[in-house]
Amino acid sequence: MKKVMLLIVISLLWSTTLFAAGTQYDLRVDGLACPFCAYGIEKKLTKTDGVESVAFDLEKGLVIVKVKEGMTFSEAQLKLLIEDSGFTMRSMTEKPII
Amino acid sequence: MNRIRLHLMTASLLIFVSGVTSAHDPVFGLGPHTLFKGGIETHIGFDQSKANTNKAMESSLEVAYGITGNWTARVEIPYVDRNIGPSGISDMRIATKYRFWRRDDLGLQESSTAFLKIKPDTASNGRGNGASDSILGIAYGYESRKWYRWASVRYRFNGEALGNVSRGDQYLVDLVTGIRFKPSAYKEADWVWMLELNGEKTKNSQLNGVALANSGGTEWFLSPGLMWTLRNFAIKTGMQFPVASNLNGIQAESDYRAKLEFEWHL
Repeated sequence: MKKVMLLIVISLLWSTTLFAAGTQYDLRVDGLACPFCAYGIEKKLTKTDGVESVAFDLEKGLVIVKVKEGMTFSEAQLKLLIEDSGFTMRSMTEKPII
Repeated sequence: MNRIRLHLMTASLLIFVSGVTSAHDPVFGLGPHTLFKGGIETHIGFDQSKANTNKAMESSLEVAYGITGNWTARVEIPYVDRNIGPSGISDMRIATKYRFWRRDDLGLQESSTAFLKIKPDTASNGRGNGASDSILGIAYGYESRKWYRWASVRYRFNGEALGNVSRGDQYLVDLVTGIRFKPSAYKEADWVWMLELNGEKTKNSQLNGVALANSGGTEWFLSPGLMWTLRNFAIKTGMQFPVASNLNGIQAESDYRAKLEFEWHL
């Protein structure tokens, strides 16, 4: 039974990776006081190869970046893009888009 | 003497355009905002001032570029329309801002910027003030999801104009508060209401080294203003009303000054 469960978990993980439509990065960004200023982040990120969409939750200081399948960004790359926009990236989480 | 008076009047009428404003900076004062790296800002502004019978209207086209996330350069071409004196394209202005300090927190940004603006004597036929001037300043800003606070000081070095007239240098001080009554989400229209206190202290002008009695002095203005933004487009407007005036000798006191600005970030 344990082996069956393990196989199910492994196959689920495999299928998630296989059928993932890209990656979503949730960036915790400080300094986001106004929507007009946040446009700089949208502009910088959407000009970057592989980025499909950028969304904001200003109250939570969240920048949600969706990138194409096969494209990945390191934390350092995203931190630099946010810094060039005039803000500070505190942390990042990454998950596949299913 | 008429020419001297015209230069002094031109100088005093153009003082109100001495700031480089950027959206989410004050309307009349100086704020700390810089553009994102590689960002381009296009800006169309209209200024009007009235002091007794002297009336001036200026429209200007500005383009700014974000050299880094903390450093912006700007070029401004003004067109001046006066009821007394020549109208047309006035002196070009170039300016730069460098943000040397920034503290970011959740929904909050505090920053300080150094500012330099140079106005060379580029206009012909008396459409400029006939001198090269420069402004050096420093600005602080506190911006949160609800409250805004700005403070700035500037010093304007006025160059020598035609006829050995030295216009007095000027100190500019601004204290500003702003409020966003309803926090808006990204891509929603955003409103920020502001109230500015703008002070101007001008030294006496000189003719051949002799101070002119009817020049210089201090003026304070109270200036309500509004910023409306939608994603990368902004409209700013405000009016300055004199609340205290101590001008030397006989001079026309300011009646009002008004600004309307449109700005796109590309």
